[in-house]
This record gives sequence, structure tokens and C-alpha cells, in this order.
Amino acid sequence: MLLEVRDLHVEFRTRDGVAKAVNGVDYAVDAGETLAVLGESGSGKSVTAQAIMGILDMPPGRIAGGEILFQGKDLLKLKEEERRKVRGAEMAMIFQDALSSLNPVLSVGDQLGEMFVVHRGMSKKDARAKAVELMDHVRIPAAKERVKQYPHQFSGGMRQRIMIAMALALEPALIIADEPTTALDVTVQAQVMDLLAELQREYNMGLILITHDLGVVADVADRIAVMYAGRIVEQAPVHDIYKAPAHPYTRGLLDSIPRLDQKGQELYAIKGLPPNLMAIPPGCAFNPRCPMAQELCRTDEPPLYEVSQDRTSACHFWRECLNG
Amino acid sequence: MPEPQEPEGAIAGTGMGGAMDLAVSEATTLEKGPGQAGGPQGKPRSLWSDAWRDLRRNPVFIISGLVILFLVVISLWPSLIASGNPLKCDLAKAQEGSQPGHPFGFDGQGCDVYTRTVYGARTSVTVGVCATLGVAILGSVLGGLAGFFGGFWDSILSRITDVFFAIPVVLGGLVLLSVVTSNTVWPVIGFMVLLGWPQISRIARGSVITAKQNDYVHAAKALGASNSRQLLRHIAPNAVAPVIVVATIALGTYIALEATLSYLGVGLKPPTVSWGIDISAASAYIRQAPHMLLWPAGALALTVLAFIMLGDAVRDALDPKLR
Repeated sequence: MLLEVRDLHVEFRTRDGVAKAVNGVDYAVDAGETLAVLGESGSGKSVTAQAIMGILDMPPGRIAGGEILFQGKDLLKLKEEERRKVRGAEMAMIFQDALSSLNPVLSVGDQLGEMFVVHRGMSKKDARAKAVELMDHVRIPAAKERVKQYPHQFSGGMRQRIMIAMALALEPALIIADEPTTALDVTVQAQVMDLLAELQREYNMGLILITHDLGVVADVADRIAVMYAGRIVEQAPVHDIYKAPAHPYTRGLLDSIPRLDQKGQELYAIKGLPPNLMAIPPGCAFNPRCPMAQELCRTDEPPLYEVSQDRTSACHFWRECLNG
Repeated sequence: MPEPQEPEGAIAGTGMGGAMDLAVSEATTLEKGPGQAGGPQGKPRSLWSDAWRDLRRNPVFIISGLVILFLVVISLWPSLIASGNPLKCDLAKAQEGSQPGHPFGFDGQGCDVYTRTVYGARTSVTVGVCATLGVAILGSVLGGLAGFFGGFWDSILSRITDVFFAIPVVLGGLVLLSVVTSNTVWPVIGFMVLLGWPQISRIARGSVITAKQNDYVHAAKALGASNSRQLLRHIAPNAVAPVIVVATIALGTYIALEATLSYLGVGLKPPTVSWGIDISAASAYIRQAPHMLLWPAGALALTVLAFIMLGDAVRDALDPKLR
């Protein structure tokens, strides 16, 4: 396994109390595999990613437990300086909003070249040549001229391509893409996603794709992990989930996708709000919103049930759910 | 005339050097003229080149820039426009008014007011520039580090700045400088740096904290940038604008403060030529010989005004949202 997250706990200490953002997440990604992490805002998917990258703001954040094994070594046990060398070179991250993720006062060539200067100790001139090469690779036209331009002079899709180029610069083994297409037009979304998937195949990288767009997931992901209130409630190969979800929350998510054949009808929505992370309900965190909830759900936290060999669900009634 | 700068040049001019570039390359502005200001479309444009483009069109900037350029030139080479010696005085001519060769008349010691006013610029500009540089460097380094790392030392620094803010500047000057016997400008500059750095430190700290939260700083960290690289390359260039603005305006107030302290007798001391000293000496004779007071006071007012207006123009250019 390229990356294995085991029983990860992250909490934030705030004035109002401790917010438990991640409560025992397990997932794994292999080289060449795409894992999609799905969930609402506040479900802990980005926090998990930040913990893996080591860019959580600490304090207020704190990793309260667990292991992050990357190529066999536990990242949480590394010194900050060793960790820094892993970032960018071995694992890289693509952020949601490329405009705010690029430094407005540096030209894109400087920012792309920085990867080579920081990690490879290249001269500025060589780094600039590499930057042009990278921009060509992510199919930015007239790269040689545009390398001197500043982020605001590029379109949204082009900026995201530059972010992808930066992340891929040193051919890392793992890429974490945190909602890489959310800020883009629908037409551009597909292009950027295709590019990312293509480059992933080319370099045989592991990809963790954080998103709440189920449409994107179906096209590119191999496996899906659905998160709710800091836990993974269901994890399965992509086709299994779309065929028959084994957790009522996943079912709710799938039912809330607008469909053309339901034109004119009311759109399904999961009722209620995501739980307050400072006061997660006892038992199953989803029980107040769950249409299938019973007494057991309010008292006992469901363990991870093994649905099949490569599929888990954190629902006492996964069998009933699976059968509709 | 220097070539229009490549983007690297625009980036190089980001530190405190940026403010200097703005003032010093004034001559470039006039030769280029307003027609070319737009520049061809699609040419790389940074915040700094945008700001520079705005400034070149701003009459306030051009006028105050010219005044400052003139001041800098005459403080470097006062003999260019004043051939006399500011310390050569003839008591027989004390308090006499304007006469050929001595357009501003003579002061109470019979010294030429014109020559002394010209030479006074050197003192004021030296004190202003050195105090501002000292304050800007000390304040932004301390404030920047505190803002970036936060935690214990940040709290300590913030409390120390609170203490310094509580010291009244003039009272502090009277107390601290009255024990100094040196005849140079350095004790005055040192005093201004001592009392001035908390102001810049607070601003630098605030803007570093704001800049630190930007996604691109997280992105840089996620791609392996070290603390120093994040701070120097990604945070500092995006946090330095408010420091430049406040420092430019502060420069004017330091010049005024030097005059105030010299007027009170604790700042610079004769034989140093200073507007403050001359104003102080002349104030007793304002009815008999007002010219002795008006020329140095006018020069002082004009200088302070020029720096404050320059600071205003720079602020408008660097932060369009404030308009």
C-alpha cells in the first residue's frame, strides 16, 4: 500500500470547546488507484487530507491519535524538516480555488520553478525552463510567453492546470486533490478532470480525490469513501456503491442528485443538518437524520461491518439498506 | 533611463527597496510621459507594476515626489544652490531683512537664513530617512516573526508594544534625550527608532497574520516550502504594502518630531544646522523679524506635507480597495 491511514483522530481546541473533526478514519490508497472521499462540508474530509499532508494549523488543531503510513513509514513520527521534504516531492496537494492558491505577486513561472529550486536545488534559469516544460505538459498554449505572466492573467481552468503542474512537478507518488473542479465552469471541469486522470495514469500515482460532486466521482474513481461527522461510514468500489448503497447516508446522497427523468418533481434532500462537531450525538452520528434509525442506533455506535471483501459500512442495518 | 523592467524586476522591488524605487525613479516618469502608461495588453503585470502605473498618473504623487527629489538632491549637494557657509555669521547684520545675495535675510546671529534653510534640509532628511529605515526594519522583522510564529513570543511582543505605546513621545524625548551630550544626529534617530518600532511592528504583525491565512501560503507549505521561504517569498511581498505606506507617512512625522525636539532644546544641538533649532531661536523675535521664523518653518511644513502626501498616494496605489 502506498498510503494507509489508520484510526486517525483530529480535534480542534476552540474557546467553546473541543471540536472533534476526525474520529477514527481508516483508508488506504495504492499506486495508480483513485480513492474518492465524499461528504458534506464539515465531514472531516479536508481535515484528514491536511493531516496527511502535515499542513494542519497546530494549534488549534491537534492529531489526537492514529497512524499515517506512507510508503511504510509513519509520517506522524517524522521530524518537521523530514516531513517538509516529503511534501511536494513525494506527495502533493491540489487546492480548490487556484486563484487564491497561487501567489498574486509572483509570476506563474517563478512559482512552478520554485518546486525545482526548493527540492532539487536547481538554478533559476534551469527551473524556468522546467516550468515551461510543465506548462506544455498540462497543455497551456504559448507556454514560453505565458510563463512570465501572473496568476490573475489566466482563466480559471488554466490556473487549475498550473496548480496541477505544480503538484506534478516532482512526480510525487501521491496526489491529494481537494475539490479540484468545484470552482470551475462545468465544461472546464471535465477537461481538468480528464487531464488529472490522464496524468495519474502516466505517472502511476495514487490519487485521493476529495469532492462532493458525485458525477465527477463516477467517471474517475476506483473506490469511494463516504465520510460523515469525521468517520468513514461506507467504503466500497465505485460501482458497488452506485448499484446499491450499504449506508442510509450514502443512499441519501445518491437520491439527492438531480435527475432528468424527475423533471418537475421535488428534489430529495436529507433532512436536518450535519451534527455539531462539539456535540456529536451518541450512538450513530447519523441517527437524528436517518429514515431507518431505531433504538439501537441511538445507544450503540455502529462498528465497521464488513459487507464484502473490499467493502465496509458503519450501519447496524446495512443488510436492510443494501436490499433497499 | 532604465529599460522598463522585466517581471523579475517588479518582484525585486518588493521589500523596503520598493518604496525607495518609487521615490528615486521619479525622473523616469517625466521622460516617459502619460501616453505610454497603459502598456500593451497581455504584458505581465504585478501588483507593483500596477501600483507604479497608478502612481505615474497621480498628480499628488508627481508633485510630492518632485519636492522630495529636490530635497534629497539639496541635502546631498547643498552647495548646488547655496554657495555660502551656514556657520559663517556676521553679528553686525543680525536680524537684517532681504538684500542682494541674501534673499531670506539674516538671523539673530547674523547668519544667512537662505543658506541655513538649505543646509537644514540635510539634517531633516538624514534624520527622517535613517529613523524610518530603522523603525521599518526593526518593526517589520519583530512584528513579522511574531505574526508568523504566534504563541508565547507573540504575546510577549504585543505587551511590550503596549508599553511603548503608553509613552508620550515628547515627554519621553525630554526625559531620555536631556541626558545625552552627543552633538550628532544619532541619539535623536535612536530615540525615534526606540519609540517608533512598535507602530510598524503592530502593522507588520497584523498584515503577516492576514497574509499567512491565504490559500497560497498553505499551498506553498503543501508543496514543501520551508518556514523561511513561506515567510520571505510568499508572505512578506503580500504583507509589505501597509508597512511601506505607514513608513512613508511616518517619515514626515519624524522630520516634524526632530524639529519639535530641537525646538525644545533636547534634539539636535548647535553647531548642527537644523530647522528646529532655527525656529526655536527665531520664535522670540517673531514681531521684529518674522522672516527668521517663516523660512525655516515654511521649509519644514513643505517637507512634512510632501512626505505625508506621498504616503497617501502610495497607499491609494497599493490598496485600491481603500479609495
